[in-house]
Amino acid sequence: MDVLTPKERLLRSLKKEKVDRHPVICPGGMMNAALVEIMQHTGHTLPEAHHVDSLMRELAYDVYDNTGFENFGIPFCMTVEAEALGSPIDFGSLSCEPKIKVEAYKSVKDVEFKPRGVMEKSSRVAAVVQSLHYLSEKYPDVPAIGSLTGPLSTSASIVDPMTFLKQLRREKEAAHKVLDYVTGHLIDYAQLMVDNGATVISIADPTATGEILGPKMFKEYAVYYINKLVDAIHAMGVPVIVHICGEMAMVKPQIAELHGDAISVDAFVNLKQMKEEYNTLTTMGNLSTYLLEFSDPDTIYKQSKVLLRNNIDIISPACGLSTSTALKNIQAFTTAIKEE
Amino acid sequence: MAKTAEELNKELADAVVDMDEELVGDLANEVIENGYDPLNAIDQGLAKGMDEAGKLFEEEEYFVPELLMCSDAVNTGIDILKPHIHLDDAGERHKIVVGVIEGDTHDIGKNLVKVMLSAANFEVIDAGRDVPPEVFVDTAVKEGAQIIMIAALMTTTMDRIADTINLIKERGLEGKIKVVIGGAPISPAFAKKIGADAYSINANAAVRIAREMLG
Repeated sequence: MDVLTPKERLLRSLKKEKVDRHPVICPGGMMNAALVEIMQHTGHTLPEAHHVDSLMRELAYDVYDNTGFENFGIPFCMTVEAEALGSPIDFGSLSCEPKIKVEAYKSVKDVEFKPRGVMEKSSRVAAVVQSLHYLSEKYPDVPAIGSLTGPLSTSASIVDPMTFLKQLRREKEAAHKVLDYVTGHLIDYAQLMVDNGATVISIADPTATGEILGPKMFKEYAVYYINKLVDAIHAMGVPVIVHICGEMAMVKPQIAELHGDAISVDAFVNLKQMKEEYNTLTTMGNLSTYLLEFSDPDTIYKQSKVLLRNNIDIISPACGLSTSTALKNIQAFTTAIKEE
Repeated sequence: MAKTAEELNKELADAVVDMDEELVGDLANEVIENGYDPLNAIDQGLAKGMDEAGKLFEEEEYFVPELLMCSDAVNTGIDILKPHIHLDDAGERHKIVVGVIEGDTHDIGKNLVKVMLSAANFEVIDAGRDVPPEVFVDTAVKEGAQIIMIAALMTTTMDRIADTINLIKERGLEGKIKVVIGGAPISPAFAKKIGADAYSINANAAVRIAREMLG
């Protein structure tokens, strides 16, 4: 029998305190579980729910209620931040996530620095924080996770990403200025989430991978700005999950430098080994989203048990879920963890 | 004393590896001033340099930013050399359609493949990102391309790759248009399962595969 509430369990896990069993979560943002099957059933649908707080919170509840994940995860995309900073968005469809139509700036040197305070003026930021407020008040036992797009991914969503990557090397000073600017606004956004009841902040930064940047730039940019953001959120008194995409063999020492309370990783990273190498790390992950989409409940159930055997601290999907994943597959996953 | 064509080609290749756009520009102008073969300078200079950069990428010496800068250097050189190529020397370049499958907008991988193929002197038709299966096949037919390279970065979108391959079969184009696939969630096993002609582990491998397929 569960002794702890889902919120206590997650918070204790993030503090490395003893828990009754492992939590199983899906933090939202890049990793959201707004499956087509759920939306068709409940009628709270995307893309509308990206805009309207009453729909957003209902969909977040539907996801929680149907999947068995032990949290609310908001929003359901990675475009809120870039939109507030000037990039036009294509909101996609029921099954297709929103994307940047075209980045607002061609170069880091073209970026117009908007004054602090633009986040709270964004209608979509408002939808996110109002949803967090509503859910955290109404369901105080369930952790409400606010998901942020990380500094590099947000920067690469306002500046043409190919140019941006080159400029990380060629125009260091201007690139740092943009990252610093973006990080400042992300801190403001996180503050709004925290003020409105977010239990945990989750940061996903898919552009900031060791594979794309290499170890040197990963340290100079990804670790530096993610930590700046994490430190600011810690000062607000809230724990932070950091998700790093891709293979990370090359940047393992840098991963250990991240200040996040838990590090969430992709499917092909051996978390068991990582736990042994860096025993202070709180690990999160990493059931393959490929398995979740293309496999069957039995196989998923068995694989989920492997995560428990490896004592991964917080159990979650390894990356962004396919919106066409079958609900019964997700349920097999969460059930396997909950009956521990 | 003027440098020989070979010396210039070697320096061009090195300048590409060093990401030195300016030097590549100077050297390309030197090729023209000396009356050397511009096509040869592309093949034996710029493309060789890009091959070397691709190797460094596979060896994890270079990463995406470096590779992009090398490719900028190649493009600078090509822009200078190209107007001096006599059309009948050039022969016909093979065309390859590249794109990111429908539903997916992560195009770093696709752009890298494009960069590497262009530097290897293939004519690349970029179908963009979020490309539906019909558009891939229509574009290949219209352009007379023999290869389609499809990238997917999310498991969400992998089904649509299989749809593209099935569409090629339905239209009786099997064997005439080959499909190469790659991207983080893709595995050789998945490529085999859906009947793709090849799986490419990275952008550099894509060039090798294209060369093999087109002889």
